[in-house]
Amino acid sequence: MQIELLCQPASAVARLTLDAGEAVTCEIGAMIAMSPQITVTTTGRSRGGKGGLLAGVKRMFSGENWFLNHFQAGQAGAQLVIGPTMLGDILHHRLRGGSLIVQGSSWLASSGSIELDTSFPGLGKAIFSGEAVFWLKCTGEGDLLLNSFGAIYPVDVDGEYVVDTGHIVAFEDTLTWSVGKAAPSLLGSLLGGEGLVCRFSGRGRLWCQSHNPPAFGAALGPLLRPRSA
Amino acid sequence: MTESLQFSVEAAPDFPLLRVHLAQGQQVLAEPSAMATMDPSIDLKSGMKGGLGKSLGRMFGGESFIVNTFTAQRGAGEVALAAGGLGDVIHYTLRGAGGLMLQRGAFLAQSTGVEVSASWQGAKGFFSGQGLVMLKATGAGDLFFTAYGAILPMEVDGTLLVDTGYIVAFEDTLSYRITTVPGSRPGAAGKLKSFFFGGEGLVCELSGRGRVWVQTRQVAAFLGWVNPFRPVKKG
Repeated sequence: MQIELLCQPASAVARLTLDAGEAVTCEIGAMIAMSPQITVTTTGRSRGGKGGLLAGVKRMFSGENWFLNHFQAGQAGAQLVIGPTMLGDILHHRLRGGSLIVQGSSWLASSGSIELDTSFPGLGKAIFSGEAVFWLKCTGEGDLLLNSFGAIYPVDVDGEYVVDTGHIVAFEDTLTWSVGKAAPSLLGSLLGGEGLVCRFSGRGRLWCQSHNPPAFGAALGPLLRPRSA
Repeated sequence: MTESLQFSVEAAPDFPLLRVHLAQGQQVLAEPSAMATMDPSIDLKSGMKGGLGKSLGRMFGGESFIVNTFTAQRGAGEVALAAGGLGDVIHYTLRGAGGLMLQRGAFLAQSTGVEVSASWQGAKGFFSGQGLVMLKATGAGDLFFTAYGAILPMEVDGTLLVDTGYIVAFEDTLSYRITTVPGSRPGAAGKLKSFFFGGEGLVCELSGRGRVWVQTRQVAAFLGWVNPFRPVKKG
């Protein structure tokens, strides 16, 4: 698979040129344009369990749905252009064995050879307000495309490092982590606007995004007309 | 006035500003509120262009009823234009033969030789999400169009499938129809599944030879993302 990143950094898209039979799995709605020699199939998965389409439908009503589109090229040279929802950059990461843990909303696409574990325990959704946050464990060899809200930058952790949960894009699983409050008291954390942070330790690479999507949503929401429940 | 416009686009694709340098007597037409700055030698006149029928057509095409005309009346000068939203600005030269189809609301500015009118799309427009009416630019001269995100040109020679919400413009040498994505499972069930769950159910199939411009982000998708953050109505 040949990957070109275009229109970086704020409106980035990826143009993929596939070999015959090659497959790529993408976030729903990511496809912008494609050659007609590509076929698409949709599968449903969820955080906390595997399962086919029907299981996916059930969970759709409980807000735990997660659908994926699989694009497969029937012919060499087939092209696929994909992009995320939010304004921001795309990172191409080549996974060579090992695992990368990706914030669910930052995952854009991965080669068919990469295994996606959505049942990964992650942070647990209950502690977050706003969007359902889950983490995704990507394992194997192949290409990963991650998107960020705003700019994306790597941090090489050796020792300890603290990141606000809204700013995490992905990290290598050689790092250990724990989620906690930013300040010693919960009230202090909330008043300071720094709700929850992830404390990383060990050695490994971490990617952060310059902007925090839930914080942006929380800033915009009150300015909009109320919606019906 | 047939000579082409002198212009520059700065800070594209994210925050483009279109600077048009008008010679004495030259004109540029732009959508209302696009003007950011202009030299005092330039006169602005707002009005319907091409009469009531044409103006109504443009309105159905997602544009304003009114078009602003900037004329370098009292000497050469510059008009700086910006789109209402965040997103790219693309220049296209029309050469008399052939036209350019434009997404609703994509029009930013034009020189005097260009005619922008409504083009009825019917059911195709309805299913494409492009609206029943698209815009069609014909004539000879300069055209500037805009969309949310960056705008990526793609050459079509044969067939290209584009998600319906991402088409900004295409040359009318291309024909288009609405179709479902090619699902690998044969039969209606496979198609239906992709239709309901794919988010990529309906696509525009452009065929022939020509250029299409796609936007890299969609306002509708962004609004969908923001929606859960809105306060919930009480009662």
